[in-house]
Amino acid sequence: MNDIIINYIKEEISLESLDEIQLDEDLLGNGIVDSLGMMRLIVFLEKEFHMTINPEDMTVENFNSVRSISNYLSQSRT
Amino acid sequence: MKLKLTASQLSLWIGQKINPDIPLYNTAYTYEISGPIDQNIFKNAFQFLINATDALRIRFYEEDGIPFQEAKDSLKYDIEYLDFSLDSESDVITDWLLNRSLEKLNLSQQVFDAVLIKKSENSYIWFMNMHHLVTDGVSRKIVFDRMNSYYKAIINDFNSFQPEYSVTYLDYVTSELQAASSKIDDDSYWSSKVHEVEKLPSFYGIHPKPNATEASRIYIPLGADRSQKLHVFLQRPEVKGWTAQLALFNVLSSLLFIYMYRVSDQKKLAIGAPLHNRIQRKFHNTVGYFLEIFPMMTEIEETDSFKSILQRVKLENNNNLKHALQDTITSEISNSFNVVLNYIHTGFSNFNGFPTTSEWIYTGHIDSNHQMRCHVMVPDSNGEFKIMLDLNHGTFNSNLRERVSGHLLSLLDAMLDDIETCISVPSLVSPTEQKSLIDPNFKIVEPTGTAITYFEEHALNRPNAVAIQGGRRTLTYSELNKKANQLAHYLHEKGIRKNQKIALHFYRNPDYIIGVLAVLKLGATFIPIPTDQAPERISFILKNANASLVLTESGLTKNLDLSANQVCDINKESSEIFNQPFSTIQNDVKTSDLAYILYTSGSTGVPKGVCISHRALTNYLLWSKTNYTINEKSIVPLFSSIGFDLTITSTLLPLISGGRIITYKENTSGPDVSLLQVFEDNLVNIIKLTPSHLALVQEKKLSSSNIDTMIIGGEDLKVALAQSIQSLFLNPIKIYNEYGPTEATVGCIVSEYDAQMHLGSSVPIGKPIDNMQVYVLDSYKNSVPQGVIGELYLSGIGLAEGYISSPEMTAAKFVENPFFEGSKMYKSGDLGRINNDGELEYLGRTDDQVKLRGYRIELSDIESNLVHHPEVDNCAVVLIKDDIHIPEDDIVNCIKCGLPSNYPNTDFNQYGICHLCTSFEDYKTKVERYFKNDDELVKLLTSKRDENPNYDCISLLSGGKDSTYVLSRLVNMGLRVLAFTMDNGYISDQAKANITTIVKKLGVDHVYGETPHMNDIFVDSLHRHHNVCNGCFKTIYTISTQIALKKEIPYIVTGLSRGQFFETRLTEELFSDDTLDSKVIDQTILEARKLYHQEDDAVKRLLDVSIFEDDRVFEKVEFVDFYRFSDVSLEDMLVYLKENVGWVRPTDTGRSTNCLINQVGIYVHKKEMGYSNYSFPYSWDVRLGHKTRDESLEEINEVIDEAEAKRILKEIGYDKSEEDWQNTDKLVAYYTGNPNLSLKDIREFAALRLPSYMVPTVFKHLNKIPLTKNGKVDKKALQNLTSVQLELETPYAAPRNEIEEILERIWQDVLQLKKVGIYDNFIALGGHSLAAIRVTARINDEIELNLPLNKIFELPTIAEYSRYIENTLMALLEE
Repeated sequence: MNDIIINYIKEEISLESLDEIQLDEDLLGNGIVDSLGMMRLIVFLEKEFHMTINPEDMTVENFNSVRSISNYLSQSRT
Repeated sequence: MKLKLTASQLSLWIGQKINPDIPLYNTAYTYEISGPIDQNIFKNAFQFLINATDALRIRFYEEDGIPFQEAKDSLKYDIEYLDFSLDSESDVITDWLLNRSLEKLNLSQQVFDAVLIKKSENSYIWFMNMHHLVTDGVSRKIVFDRMNSYYKAIINDFNSFQPEYSVTYLDYVTSELQAASSKIDDDSYWSSKVHEVEKLPSFYGIHPKPNATEASRIYIPLGADRSQKLHVFLQRPEVKGWTAQLALFNVLSSLLFIYMYRVSDQKKLAIGAPLHNRIQRKFHNTVGYFLEIFPMMTEIEETDSFKSILQRVKLENNNNLKHALQDTITSEISNSFNVVLNYIHTGFSNFNGFPTTSEWIYTGHIDSNHQMRCHVMVPDSNGEFKIMLDLNHGTFNSNLRERVSGHLLSLLDAMLDDIETCISVPSLVSPTEQKSLIDPNFKIVEPTGTAITYFEEHALNRPNAVAIQGGRRTLTYSELNKKANQLAHYLHEKGIRKNQKIALHFYRNPDYIIGVLAVLKLGATFIPIPTDQAPERISFILKNANASLVLTESGLTKNLDLSANQVCDINKESSEIFNQPFSTIQNDVKTSDLAYILYTSGSTGVPKGVCISHRALTNYLLWSKTNYTINEKSIVPLFSSIGFDLTITSTLLPLISGGRIITYKENTSGPDVSLLQVFEDNLVNIIKLTPSHLALVQEKKLSSSNIDTMIIGGEDLKVALAQSIQSLFLNPIKIYNEYGPTEATVGCIVSEYDAQMHLGSSVPIGKPIDNMQVYVLDSYKNSVPQGVIGELYLSGIGLAEGYISSPEMTAAKFVENPFFEGSKMYKSGDLGRINNDGELEYLGRTDDQVKLRGYRIELSDIESNLVHHPEVDNCAVVLIKDDIHIPEDDIVNCIKCGLPSNYPNTDFNQYGICHLCTSFEDYKTKVERYFKNDDELVKLLTSKRDENPNYDCISLLSGGKDSTYVLSRLVNMGLRVLAFTMDNGYISDQAKANITTIVKKLGVDHVYGETPHMNDIFVDSLHRHHNVCNGCFKTIYTISTQIALKKEIPYIVTGLSRGQFFETRLTEELFSDDTLDSKVIDQTILEARKLYHQEDDAVKRLLDVSIFEDDRVFEKVEFVDFYRFSDVSLEDMLVYLKENVGWVRPTDTGRSTNCLINQVGIYVHKKEMGYSNYSFPYSWDVRLGHKTRDESLEEINEVIDEAEAKRILKEIGYDKSEEDWQNTDKLVAYYTGNPNLSLKDIREFAALRLPSYMVPTVFKHLNKIPLTKNGKVDKKALQNLTSVQLELETPYAAPRNEIEEILERIWQDVLQLKKVGIYDNFIALGGHSLAAIRVTARINDEIELNLPLNKIFELPTIAEYSRYIENTLMALLEE
């Protein structure tokens, strides 16, 4: 799952092209993606994992790093 | 490479085209560099910048009206260099920069302008102005960075400089255009969103001026403290967002929403939010216009807190970001907001190592559909925030612009202080503004004396002056005084003392006035009870007020319960009264004693008595005397009901001023027509009346009247009425508009009508009179800013003492005055605002109190009386107003086709284009396919030549230009034609002469058709369609078909214009099918034609229509529209007619038509519908290129000869008249209970309990009273029934399921109704064959069925039709 997320960020939405992204890197805080990019990631994840992400769950805590995103996704998919 | 424009570009292009000379989209920036710049290197760098940036090389041009763009391969540009170092005062440079940025960019040549300015050795300004079509906020930084890179590279090492600028703006445009053409329609998220916002809000009660682009920018620095608080606020868990920027954006959008709600009173709101939209990374470094503005929506409740709004807005913004796809924004979506919030987050570091700042030069213009743009910047180096507001002058005048920032900051501060605060609580206005709204130094100056004091003075000084005239009686001041004294003595003898309550039940005659004076002289209180009061209501009043005595006259004692009350009949006891002394009776009236008690309609079903003191009354009378200049010469009629607060003026004002009253007694039965007598007699010079009264008076009577002053009160005074009154009077006349609830004594806010100043739809009510104050407050009793609507609270000496015997109601309405401790203010329930001129405007009620012909009525009063009827379960009463009469000045015409804005259900976009024109763009090419050519016409008309030896076709000839042209062309084509003219009795003589000449010249046979029933058909047509043409057309079709059938002629050729096709045959829906098949359309039209002849109307009843019983008639005789095959412009047609036929325009019809009754139809249609019946077909003529807009407007706006129209209406026997068209407001009672209850029964029941003006005109049974979502009676729904629907015998019932809802929506659209009950009959609602086509096509489209056309006539109610649909669907499922 981490790879899917990292790939999508690298391919599609990161503001600058990046070689790699650390699992715990602060995506929003470090300006790797902006809010519009984050939304595109959410739309992508919803499609990719056939799920709906609640607007209420779209918090910095759930989405600040690749790891927190995959944690959140695993939790909410069960 | 030549490319079209993206959707976003296109919308800018159109905006610029509409305002060609305004620098609306000049986007000018300065980059101020603090360091030395080498001019030559800068020039070179700039040339490199152009070479590397295609956006700077783009030019725009139009081909056949379609805009294109292409980039020049190369553009040689020497950047201009200016040296201001000798003249470097900042003002000079600032002015120069502003002027330069306003210069128009010639888009066909070059889309930018650039200058390098030297301020001093170490300070340079790079000025860069680009048209918005090729740039946006992000581009501002990209351009700067590129320039910086080139400049540095030239200085350092150009060879190793390898910039990656390969992705161009036109790459983006190309991909965008491709995406748009292959786009699947996925804008439902956005379009369904914008449907929720019903209308754009107006701020501060100001309707934005259309097409206004002038604007001002105001800067709001938040300052250190507030910025610090905001930083902390943004960290709160409920505020925090993905990024700090998003959090700030959420906070500011919430703030803006709340601000918009507070200054517009609108709950559903939208804000446009620009999104940089460089979604693909490859475009991150591309200069161009990428931006799209997406709407954010919210619905605000009065009870929301800042927190609840913030949370909603946060979710909304997250959702929006999720749906923000490129190029999804349609013009409908961009029209859904008029406020934009923009986040500016580009920072500029340095240029070649020198510190650099950048400014955006404001050009003073804004998109005309944006009233406000709010820009927020990233905090500066000190962490301080700054907001910029661009305010459109179309809404925000200079006075308002100064106050806006205060209002926004009041809300921001309240939010920062406590996020839980309710958004309605904080006051918007600053303490200084508050002082301008409520004068803190207000003090009451008590008037001296009472009305009696002033009356007695006149009796003493001018005893022989006439005080009253009534019938044959005339009383001088001395006589009146003596009579009043005698009566007072007599009442005293009967035991009446100070402060006791005396009811006065009189006709309007001198005795009533004597009674009033006698009671006041005693220091007692009078209660006027007019003669139209129902006995039950009188009994209630006497008991409620604890009246000691009823003073009355012989004819009226029958209304009184003699056993329960002490009654004094002055006629019976006249000799006793006559024996009393003339002397003045001694009393010691205090100004706080009650002068009178007036009963008004109360919401609980019983009237309430308003207690007015002497000081309140005296204050009003003295102010009026001075301000209306009432004196010895004044003669005032007493003609309105004595139970009416406004009548106090006519009763007492003349007597305290030494003037004269003429009394006009009401009829003992039937309507009160005293007013007409007043004008007939023409004896008075001052009159107090209501607007409804005025509407009754004939123009002739007004113009010859001696009246020089009118005091108008009781209800909203329209400017149109005031204007027409003023223009009718030969002598100058003063018109005063007086506002005042009974509770604040007759009138407490007054304006003098001023034709120059008062241009709105209603005359403002003006300013408070002496010793009175008005406050416009919100529901938390904060003063609202000037312009904003609030409830009017009244305070001052004129307030009533309260309601008699109702301390609770008194406490509820007369509340503590928070602005002046210890005093009271009256909660009026009236809505109002202070306009730009500082005058108050009245804007309706907060509750369901209504005014009908000046009478104040609580609808619940009627309701609670009606439910007492044993067979009524529940009931709801509404006042239905006639609102078709929009002032002519408010009507605009579509800038393309001329359709007027009052045509039902029109929707104009921001550019003033109507919805018909807009949607026509989508099927225009299909419509073209419907049309054919001359050869096809000849082929068709000769196809059955063998069957008839004499004629190929009948040509319908009215004698007008269109049909003459048709006939002449047919003959020219070698066809054998029989010309047919319907003589409807109103064909002009010249037109007939034309016809004779034409047929002779062309050598064709000609017959006239006739019927003795023509006038009945006209009248029926006027009732059904509000015009005469529909009936006439049908007669022509019927009679010409009879002839064709008899003579075996296979074709009838019409001269209908292409526009008329859309009025009579074609509808938008017919072109909805992608694979347009004109055979299918023809088939549908034929089906509709069959139904058309089955419609039950005068033609069907009066003419012999048996031929249509057999469907084969439609095969034997076919109708062919000439202009479907051939088209010609008006100009060419007239030339052709002149050269070939010798046709002359008839001059004896006064208009361009050949038919004298035609204008009658237009006259009635305008009166009853508000617009000409030609508006619609002519708009289609223009759309289809048959006419120009000017030609169409000229014909539509032709002046109608009213006198002639009225004469013809009388001649044909049409029974509606001016009065029906004017006084159409009526009370309608809906009730549940016994459906068989007779109208007579319920009306008599109401008449027994209610005054006559409160008895509803219409009673309509319902199975269920409709409720709103909140469970309240849905009065709006009940108000939306038309008079036709009210007359239907079926009760109104709302749709019960989804299919019925769909059907209701479709019916509403097509039949142009606001409400349709499921049992209402399609035909009775005006549904005809064309409407059947539209309804059926829409149903088939929405439910994906293929239902036949005639079903709607077989199953003419929504309930039946929906059952049929359900059954059809079930059957399909089972298959």
